[in-house]
Amino acid sequence: MPEVFGVRAVDAGGADAADAGGADAADARAAGAPAASAAADASVASAAVEAAGVGVRAPGREAPLLADVSLRLAPGERMLVLGPSGSGKSSLLQVLTGVIPFSQNLDAEGTVHLDGDDVTDRPVIERSRSLGVVAQDPSAAICLARVDEEVALPLENHGVPPEQISARIDEALGLAAAGRLRERATAGLSGGEVQRVALAAALAARPAVLLLDEPTSMLDPAGVRAVRSAVDAVVADGRTAVLLVEHRLDEFAGPEGAARLPGQAIVLDEGGRMLASGPTAQVLSENAVRLHDAGCWLPLDAELLAITGHPGGLASPAVREWLRAAAAAPAPADDVKAAPAPSSRPSPTSKRSRRLSAFPSTTSGADAASHEDRGSRGGMPPHDREVVLAAQGVTVGRPAPGARPERRGTGQDGIGRRWIGRRGNGRKRPVIEVEPVVSGGDLELRAGEVVALLGANGSGKSSLLLTLAGLLPAGAGEIVGPRPSMVFQYPELQFLAHRVRDEIAVGLTAPAAEVAGIVDRQLRIHRLEHVADRDPHRLSGGEKRRLSLAAMLAHDDRPVLLADEPAFGLDRRDTVATARVFRDEAARGRAVLFSSHDLRFVAAVADRVIVLADGVVAADGPTAEVLQDAALLRRAGLELPPLVAWLLTTPEPPFGTQPDAGAGMARALRSLYVATSHQSIAGGAGGTGGTAGAVGADGVGDPHTAVAR
Amino acid sequence: MLGPGVVRDSALARRNPTVKLVVLFVASVALLFVLDPVTPALICAAGLIGVVVGGRVPVRTVLRAQLPFLVFAFGVFTVNVLSRPGTVLWQEGFIRITVEGLVVGAALALRTLAIGILAIGFVLTTDSLDLMTSLHQNARLGARPSYALMAGYRLLQQLPEDWAAIGAAQSVRAPLRRDGTVRRTPAAFGRAAFALLVLSIRRGERMAQSLESRGLGLAPRTVWHPIRVTPLDLVFGATVLATLAAVITAAALLGLLSGPAALF
Amino acid sequence: MSIHTRPTSTPTTPGPRSRSLFAWQLKDIMLVVVLGAVFGFLYWALVQGWIALSVATGPFGDLTQHVLLGGWLLVAPIAVAIIRRPFAGVIAEIIASVIEVVFLGSAVGPLLFVAAAIQGAGSELPFALTRYRRFSWPVYALSGLLGAGLVFFYSAFRSGWYGTDLFLVRLAIQLVSGVVLGGLLAKVIVDALARTGVVDNFAIGRARVGA
Repeated sequence: MPEVFGVRAVDAGGADAADAGGADAADARAAGAPAASAAADASVASAAVEAAGVGVRAPGREAPLLADVSLRLAPGERMLVLGPSGSGKSSLLQVLTGVIPFSQNLDAEGTVHLDGDDVTDRPVIERSRSLGVVAQDPSAAICLARVDEEVALPLENHGVPPEQISARIDEALGLAAAGRLRERATAGLSGGEVQRVALAAALAARPAVLLLDEPTSMLDPAGVRAVRSAVDAVVADGRTAVLLVEHRLDEFAGPEGAARLPGQAIVLDEGGRMLASGPTAQVLSENAVRLHDAGCWLPLDAELLAITGHPGGLASPAVREWLRAAAAAPAPADDVKAAPAPSSRPSPTSKRSRRLSAFPSTTSGADAASHEDRGSRGGMPPHDREVVLAAQGVTVGRPAPGARPERRGTGQDGIGRRWIGRRGNGRKRPVIEVEPVVSGGDLELRAGEVVALLGANGSGKSSLLLTLAGLLPAGAGEIVGPRPSMVFQYPELQFLAHRVRDEIAVGLTAPAAEVAGIVDRQLRIHRLEHVADRDPHRLSGGEKRRLSLAAMLAHDDRPVLLADEPAFGLDRRDTVATARVFRDEAARGRAVLFSSHDLRFVAAVADRVIVLADGVVAADGPTAEVLQDAALLRRAGLELPPLVAWLLTTPEPPFGTQPDAGAGMARALRSLYVATSHQSIAGGAGGTGGTAGAVGADGVGDPHTAVAR
Repeated sequence: MLGPGVVRDSALARRNPTVKLVVLFVASVALLFVLDPVTPALICAAGLIGVVVGGRVPVRTVLRAQLPFLVFAFGVFTVNVLSRPGTVLWQEGFIRITVEGLVVGAALALRTLAIGILAIGFVLTTDSLDLMTSLHQNARLGARPSYALMAGYRLLQQLPEDWAAIGAAQSVRAPLRRDGTVRRTPAAFGRAAFALLVLSIRRGERMAQSLESRGLGLAPRTVWHPIRVTPLDLVFGATVLATLAAVITAAALLGLLSGPAALF
Repeated sequence: MSIHTRPTSTPTTPGPRSRSLFAWQLKDIMLVVVLGAVFGFLYWALVQGWIALSVATGPFGDLTQHVLLGGWLLVAPIAVAIIRRPFAGVIAEIIASVIEVVFLGSAVGPLLFVAAAIQGAGSELPFALTRYRRFSWPVYALSGLLGAGLVFFYSAFRSGWYGTDLFLVRLAIQLVSGVVLGGLLAKVIVDALARTGVVDNFAIGRARVGA
């Protein structure tokens, strides 16, 4: 059916590179393409993807998930889909792939054209002739045991002659910068490698349109870089149209900044309606305020624009002045005049931690006070700065090492080597043979401090946390302290009950009436009241994370909170909420130790940083001090985000090498976190965009309930 | 540990997986109708030789893999010895041993071991994914179920890790024993199992979407590496089944063979 | 860039509801595979303890095994209740047995396929009689009863229970186990799964919305 190719060749326009390879792709596609494609009308035919009036509705629900969205992409064009969580970004892509309505119990309306064909009534597999898809979950992105088989599958499905398949596998892997992975078993791949292979598989059949649904949301910075350069290589030929949903825009854009983002953008609002569309730079600058206030992460320049009202990013003197003022301003908690009442919190904290507590608390004074009461009765450490958890000479091993036979479904190590919780009341734990990841680690956690655990992927952060929590036996050494609490990166793993309310109550031993009080308080603090009776699995991603935190913090008898990647994949609002909870818990006398890749989050929240590198604790010191050690960061595979780097290197006060640098940096970053846009508070009681310290918590807290479904 | 397809280079390992499966199936069913001790003992011996020589599986490995069969065989044997009525050989209170019990018990136990040896020979020399591919290509198993099963294999690979992670995550709030270790109750096992089920169903749905978005189910499809049934495979199948038939026939001619009637 | 071109009509796409009873979607097949894999894995985990148990209880070890037999039946009623299509139970059991034999290297070998097919047929029959419309406690209980009952006669032949003293005792234990673990427990699991929302996109979710 050469018509199909004819249409495509015209589409591809002057892109010569496309023509040589294009024939095969079209042949493959044409092999089973319905004749109707030839009848596609000319105006539609020039678009790689065109959606008109697309809407999605759950049966029986009044509010649509997506309403009247239209978009159009020419071959080789790239488009970014922006919007807060719950705005239907993924639904939009699923309408294009046909997952909605063909695989989900949702109703779709509107029409979809792909590569010139009206595919509105065609199911997912038919649409696969012109679509390549990469979704966000690496654990579900790859279905076969070997990389080459995985990439061969779409080629076989599309009827590519067997003798061409090997070369096409090389081509696809080459595009995704994954050529060296060809012979590898998929079971041993890292997250970044998995997503690159998934990208290769999506590209293997030479689709006209590539859909990327947050392909990096579960990857570390190295993985993000790998996927970003792979996407760049793919679009370099100017043939494939790309539609990208992504919220870590700065990381995705890389060092060259927003210029590397797709040229076009559309914005969806909380109700799934289309707010704006056009060139990305223009869309970002015109909608920065709105997106920011809706809880979206934006590229740094756009974020600074939204908050300060000044364009130009860190290069702009006005922006710098704002940051300087924010860093110098007293924390809201210290300044009654600047801070609204709910933010003040009577809490007996040390001089140092009070100085750092720039987060307006989410807790009312009464809550905090009652908490203190319980605390003094229920085992929270009465003295600030007391050591609550100490590890001496601890060797940490991997729980399930690659020792598991590759071709075997189940292994001894999964079940045989149980992760038995210990009770560390000063008792020595059984020495168990492990493959050491961190050796001879010494560390202490003190009441009232927030400590970040940094290190590259595989450096043993998670294993160390599990060992400290008593969930993974230590190879050697001793851990002393009462039982810690811990939250995990994937909160679903922790859920035990069928209702949010019951989930928080799990393991609480107090009398029923008291438990109800504790539960209500946690529901309130973590903004879960509206879902209190829902099944935990039905919550949104952010709500699940908040629930796992709430359920853990309900245990007042655990003076230590351990958290594995607590900021991972959260939208802006939940990131801020998490930061605030950590500071609040520290102010109450808990010690918090969390692992993270997000150095901006670390710099905003942590008093102290522990870096793991080369199997040892490579550094342990105040945040600013450690982050200024360039050699150390390189050794640990860490990269400072531009904002943090600027704050750390600006020589004038209150940044840089000043004695107070860490506090200033933290104040500036926290002010940025809690700041609503300059417009939304202009004329309000909070102050103006020029004064950072005056931002209240209310502007951040309220809209969330509206967004969350 | 032992696992599917650990022996990769032997005469048996090179045979077509579907042919091997069919042969094993036919042999197992045939043995179901044999209820004397001698015939399965002969099959056991022949099977052991075949697996060790043809499959190049070390004897120790075969014996180790036989362990579950031995346990089962022992159970079947004792049950029949102790509970089958017939000519009493020895009795002491509740415990009674009969001739019929001994004979039928031994027959069932040896049959278990015979099927066990053949199954071990099959499992150890057959790669799971080769078998799925072969079933798809040679046994006309549809592309969708074949690849869904292969995706299931990948999911299975991730289960031990998920299970360990769920165990750890759920023990954070679990009650402790007096010595400080986590108390593992059947209820906790159930909750962890449920969490694993929820996680896996969600992952399975996403995997299905991945596979569909890559065109699984389109027709016509091609095959990159066709797997063929060679004449050698047919010779192999015929040889094994002929040996089986010869042993059974010989046993019948010698009057040793007995069938299911021995049970009643 | 022409955006906001509202189409003259907004046709509602024919949803999955219009598809026939027999058309399996890939996600349905995948669900059955997932059930087989997860239960295969959990059985494997349980069996570790079980072999020890049956050795510890000595000559009557295999009697104790019967108590847990019902657990082996779970896959079929769960699959039927979620997918609600003919043969879902039989296919689910067979796929589960394929996973056990092919991927987990089950000791029983391919004879397990036969047992699985019989079990699945028994478990599915009561649901089929209601034309996949009723999923109440009695139907589940009957499903467990038939699942255990049918396969018993095959197992008895395979393990030589016919003609032994304990024949009826075995049958009784297995039937009770089938009803409790293979029937009623399945409903508990299915209802819990439905609450979590992970099966919303399957037939059971449609029934929920439609009701």
